[in-house]
Amino acid sequence: MPVSLLTDPQMQFGAITFFAKLHKGDTCGSNGLPLTPNSIIVIGKAQFLKTIKHPYLCQYLDIIRGKHERTVVVSQYCGEPLSNYISKEQFTLDEIRKIAFQILTALKELHQRKIVHRNLSTDNILLQQNKDIKLFNYGLYYMTGCGQLVSFPIMQVLYSAPEVYLDSPSGIFSDPKSDIWSVGIVLIELILKKGLWQSLKLGQRIRKILSLIQCNNSSVFERIAREHNCFETYETIPDDLKNLVEACLSIYPKNRSTAEELLQREMFEDFTTKKTPNKSKVCEPFEVFTINELYHWWQLAGGDVFQELKKQGLIRSSPPILSLPNLVSIEGSTLGQERNPATLYDPRIVQMPLDALYQRFAHIPLTCYYPLIHATSKIIESSMPPPYDATGLPLIIREKDPEYQFHRVILFRRLLHGYPYTKELILKEASKDIPPLLRGEVWAALLSIKGDYERQYLRIDKETPTTTDRQIEVDIPRCHQYNELLSSTEGHKKLKRILKAWVYQNSNYVYWQGLDSLTAPFLYLNFNNEAKAFACLSAFIPKYLHKFFLKDNSMVIQEYLAKFSQLIAFHDPHLANHLHYINFYPELFAIPWFLTVFSHVFPLYKILHIWDKLLLGDSSFPLHIGLSVLTQLRDRLLNSGFNECILLFSDLPEVDIEKCVSYSMATFESTPKSITTREHQNGKFHPTSELDISSVTLQELNRERCPRISATDFVNLVRSKPEKILTIDIRNPVQFSRSSVMNSINIPFSSVSFGEASLENVGQHSTRIANSKNEIIVVIGNEETDLELFPKFLLKCGVSRVCVLHGGFSLLASATPTILISNTQM
Amino acid sequence: MANRTGTAQRPNGSTQGKICQFKLVLLGESAVGKSSLVLRFVKGQFHEYQESTIGAAFLTQTVCLDDTTVKFEIWDTAGQERYHSLAPMYYRGAQAAIVVYDITNQDTFGRAKTWVKELQRQASPTIVIALAGNKQDLANKRMVEFEEAQTYADENGLLFMETSAKTAMNVNDIFLAIAKKLPKNEQATAQGGSGQGRRLAEGDTGAKAAGNCCK
Ligand SMILES: Nc1nc2c(ncn2[C@@H]2O[C@H](COP(=O)(O)OP(=O)(O)O)[C@@H](O)[C@H]2O)c(=O)[nH]1
Ligand SMILES: [Mg+2]
Repeated sequence: MPVSLLTDPQMQFGAITFFAKLHKGDTCGSNGLPLTPNSIIVIGKAQFLKTIKHPYLCQYLDIIRGKHERTVVVSQYCGEPLSNYISKEQFTLDEIRKIAFQILTALKELHQRKIVHRNLSTDNILLQQNKDIKLFNYGLYYMTGCGQLVSFPIMQVLYSAPEVYLDSPSGIFSDPKSDIWSVGIVLIELILKKGLWQSLKLGQRIRKILSLIQCNNSSVFERIAREHNCFETYETIPDDLKNLVEACLSIYPKNRSTAEELLQREMFEDFTTKKTPNKSKVCEPFEVFTINELYHWWQLAGGDVFQELKKQGLIRSSPPILSLPNLVSIEGSTLGQERNPATLYDPRIVQMPLDALYQRFAHIPLTCYYPLIHATSKIIESSMPPPYDATGLPLIIREKDPEYQFHRVILFRRLLHGYPYTKELILKEASKDIPPLLRGEVWAALLSIKGDYERQYLRIDKETPTTTDRQIEVDIPRCHQYNELLSSTEGHKKLKRILKAWVYQNSNYVYWQGLDSLTAPFLYLNFNNEAKAFACLSAFIPKYLHKFFLKDNSMVIQEYLAKFSQLIAFHDPHLANHLHYINFYPELFAIPWFLTVFSHVFPLYKILHIWDKLLLGDSSFPLHIGLSVLTQLRDRLLNSGFNECILLFSDLPEVDIEKCVSYSMATFESTPKSITTREHQNGKFHPTSELDISSVTLQELNRERCPRISATDFVNLVRSKPEKILTIDIRNPVQFSRSSVMNSINIPFSSVSFGEASLENVGQHSTRIANSKNEIIVVIGNEETDLELFPKFLLKCGVSRVCVLHGGFSLLASATPTILISNTQM
Repeated sequence: MANRTGTAQRPNGSTQGKICQFKLVLLGESAVGKSSLVLRFVKGQFHEYQESTIGAAFLTQTVCLDDTTVKFEIWDTAGQERYHSLAPMYYRGAQAAIVVYDITNQDTFGRAKTWVKELQRQASPTIVIALAGNKQDLANKRMVEFEEAQTYADENGLLFMETSAKTAMNVNDIFLAIAKKLPKNEQATAQGGSGQGRRLAEGDTGAKAAGNCCK
């Protein structure tokens, strides 16, 4: 029963396949690099088609690349082609009017988007059960760069306008008016109830079409009717239809009306007034799921487009020996190869079977399609089935589990629809995991993107040449080029525009190499929404990379790297000591890590998982990622000298990203915020109080190998987690006995001999310190004590989690006397 | 003679060769092919979609010259002007530098000259500088004449070759030419690796790393 939601007759899809044109030999572009394969250019261009959602157009779902430039296009496919009905005398004149109206409406939509169909015929007009139509495969001409990227002509003999035939084979004539001609022919077939020139051979048919050019002043419709012995029918046709067809079939494109003009005819008035859906600008109508989601689940449940195409014989492999040329010239051109018939266009469409998915989801009750988000009623909860539990599974498995993704996608669609009011809930759910299908939108929500970012983006000058252009241009062809979208021509153009827009918009900042990599994940996730990609980048940088793109960013970067060293020392003194000993400093290897938040270091799929968590954290999170990368390489680092270490990072070995993420999360959560506080962090995201750390100079920071902790964090720890903290007071015993922090121990600074790195030197408390496994060790002193030597000594002894109270004891005394005790009174 | 695979070839029969270690830095405008040259020299590969270099990358390669094993510690730097402030950190203490330009782009040649000047002023006075006109495979798009660059190199006492990381032309040769020109007395050897590079090459690099080859 609940499956009925899934089995909507319009929620079906099919695939077509063709070959993009192969580049000859090993031709290179003007830069000496191989030309972008045409199939990749097609994929880039076709992305735009996915954005078209219209009742009379089949929705594009996916474009996939196979071997040897094979391209597969998946799109909604439902209903039956009109061609199946033509000779069955099915349509009343009113029905024909309605069909005409719907085809023209669909074409108007396409033409407005500068898409020419060029391929219209009764084969790809699909009649739905409800008698509406949907155009199918209307984007072929568009995605192949007006047919330039394939070696077969894109047209429909019989339906193509005369000017299409007259265009040279390599011409890129793309006048939307040629589609209007095709509409005329389709209508004639519907009216006359027969396919035209059925008995003729291809060449003769073409001659027939071209001969129509001669009826310059007479009616094309009449002539066709006469040729098909249908003159009587012709005479009975009401004028409105006759005129419509006539207007479609004007020989000269310039005399032919546009779809928009035709739709204004009186005959369509009924449809236009009836068909004004109450579209609300404020809030889009909500759909529990769309065909996009269905396709996604279908794939997760094992659906494989290639497999289906093979089953139906659309993809056939021939032994490679058959494709060997007879002769290859030194320049690389090949001779004596028969033209592979597969490179011609194969119009067959393969419907994808959905039964397996239906079965798999059959047990999911209806309530799961409508998850309750705000209700906290016990009664309702108890009546619900237990939630599908996959929390224990690794992330990779969860992302591939169709049922889990079903629940996650349904839930997130709800939440995103309610954004920004659901921000808190989105945060909460995103901390579990983010469904890959909706990642782009979820990220935008996590980055608080709202408002009219599209208009803002539109206003920015992205075209005027600037001095940065050369750098951007040489970086883009080196940026995540293994990815099909980012390596496509369209991808390059988009990336360039976004980068130029960012540079234009942020006149206080400049383009640093690496900004390209940083932009890549956003563009990849929002390939069809440049404005959103830009908005995400623009929100990301202030939050995570504040001031990193200043023309002189050395202070900012050095501070960040110094903090990184301190964080290593805090969590892993052993490693810190080793790296320090071999002079292996973060500035040698970690600049690309932090400047690009690892987007220049890892492949996209890893970045996505890291950033899923990063977006829940703050600008200190990258430090923790860095630490966790080092932790994974720890053994090798500890056993290596300078050269081996640096080689390791020049060619970073495989990093287990799930481990990396969970370890980063763990240290991020267990580290008091002030340990990673920086002068240059963005105050907007890090509110501070007087007790917090401030005005630490870079010099001080570079000298201090252990981080400082703020009085705020310290007091919180003393109060709420006293078992997590060991306070070492290094003032002299007199001061200590006068007043000290609860439970603190006193190791007077002057009593320790720092010569040898041995904990015993601290005296009676050495075992206490040695046994402090999970505690944070806070060193407290005052103006008279040296606040660097002692913590450094502990670090050398391999004591972890050592930090120093910023402001010293005097700050505590004045600000929070309640955690202090006076020993003399006791 | 040059050995690309990374382990040093031992000249026939001789068991005891001298081992020299040199720090070499690559400089030049962005996208002229610095990283590609290094990749070709060190791994014998060429990546069409070579990633851009941020900060710097470090690689090593060993070549054998007669009875001497020369180990290059190569610093490949970022090309963008902005990263300029980092450059001294890498060329300080370097015994050799390859300044690279792209023969299809005149501006990159201008930039190469600036680098040469900077090295002559700031780097070690004994530094061996080579000029590489890269992307020689694109000679039909040439914007910098061979003679022009040769003359400039002669005037400034630079080694000069046109190279192609793509076809491997002159890549090993330019490194070998540098190796030949570097002083290979004991002193140079001792200096190699520790140099004046305040941070970059201190520590236990010298002895231990050199021990890996020609034992
Ligand atoms: N045709 C050709 N292209 C090259 C050559 N060397 C490098 N390239 C290309 O030029 C671009 C920049 O190279 P890269 O090594 O990243 O330059 P870098 O910024 O100086 O390190 C890359 O796309 C390379 O594939 C060469 O010798 N010939
Ligand atoms: Mg480089």
